Amino acid sequence: MIPVSVITGFLGSGKTTLLRSVLRDPSYAGSAVIVNEWGDIGLDHELLETSEENLLGLANGCLCCATRGDLARTLIDLAARRRSGAVTYHRVLIETSGLADPAPILHTLLMDPSIAEDHRVEAVVTVVDALLGAETMARHPEATQQAMLADRLLLSKTDLAPDTSALEARLAALNPGAPILRAVQGAIPPDMLFASAARPAALQHWLEAIATPGARHSAGVETISILREDPLPAVVLPLFLEALAEHAGEKLLRMKGIIRVAEATEKPAVLHGVRHVLHPIQWLEDWPSADRRSRLVLIGQGIPQWWPARLLEALEEEARG
Amino acid sequence: MNPPALRALLADSLTLWGVVGSVEIADGGVRLIAGKHVLHVTQAELEEAPMRWWLISETRRRPAASMLGLLRSLRYALNATSAEPARARVAAPS
Repeated sequence: MIPVSVITGFLGSGKTTLLRSVLRDPSYAGSAVIVNEWGDIGLDHELLETSEENLLGLANGCLCCATRGDLARTLIDLAARRRSGAVTYHRVLIETSGLADPAPILHTLLMDPSIAEDHRVEAVVTVVDALLGAETMARHPEATQQAMLADRLLLSKTDLAPDTSALEARLAALNPGAPILRAVQGAIPPDMLFASAARPAALQHWLEAIATPGARHSAGVETISILREDPLPAVVLPLFLEALAEHAGEKLLRMKGIIRVAEATEKPAVLHGVRHVLHPIQWLEDWPSADRRSRLVLIGQGIPQWWPARLLEALEEEARG
Repeated sequence: MNPPALRALLADSLTLWGVVGSVEIADGGVRLIAGKHVLHVTQAELEEAPMRWWLISETRRRPAASMLGLLRSLRYALNATSAEPARARVAAPS
């Protein structure tokens, strides 16, 4: 499987600078890079020092809307060329346009069977300008959306902004589970950004950010967390996820969780979803910490605080008969 | 599920669907009033298994085998469905 990571962030946040820095790392130098530029004249790809055959530009439209089909075709073609030996690469990095919503891109990556056959989504990294990020998020909902959907947030240009505490608080409220990293000129070990977000260690960070069940609110975005002491009957899980997708629909932006299933209490199930699209449930060999409670974190807009927990209780009661 | 818990879940569901209405405990279950709609939800008797819920309007008595089914029926009855309800989709295993 070819790991795929998405680098997103608002216009001018420093995505291309980060990508240039990442590609200088010997472990990442052989990456295939897909750059989405929204405009008649693409420049970003000119700034990247990588081999021509491994660099693809997708212009004339935003990756999250106009050129999603192009992304799918590009990945499939690349994988075919890789299989034939025409190109060599061991991972794919996708730089979105500054106005892109990462959710539809992830949807394409996860749900297109031709892509999922060869590719595995690893992480969404959102670059946030330390100096202008707060103002940008206040003015542009796209920037807020990018921050909410990140597995990892990277503050760029931190040399220009001595105090980022307010911005970090804002980001933590929007996306409490995503670690906030810092870099000047993109200088950061790439593995800190692109290691799989579904790893137990990464998941643990997400879950530890939620201390208590309930909800937090920030500018119309709620972070809802559910804690369950008792193991959950396996049959409840698909019913709950189906109900979430059907009724919370587009209001649900992100979901992560670790579930203690009654039928397999020693092997926790990891849930990881963007809107109504779920990564396949991952079964861990062991619990990542001594805490063996089921913990689920939902980030959404307009979802009543206790609705998910009440629904879960109702379904659990039905399952127990 | 006791009537207060049912009331709380259904009241939250109305909010989630953007339906203005009220939910109150009545007749061993709950009564929903939303615009012209007056609906009763009651738990089915044990001998009515596998049905678990009844959604009762002036003209119909609709069974549901699970809370998932009840919520779906209720939403349809209130005309609160979106044009294309989202379905959970699971990516192919890697």
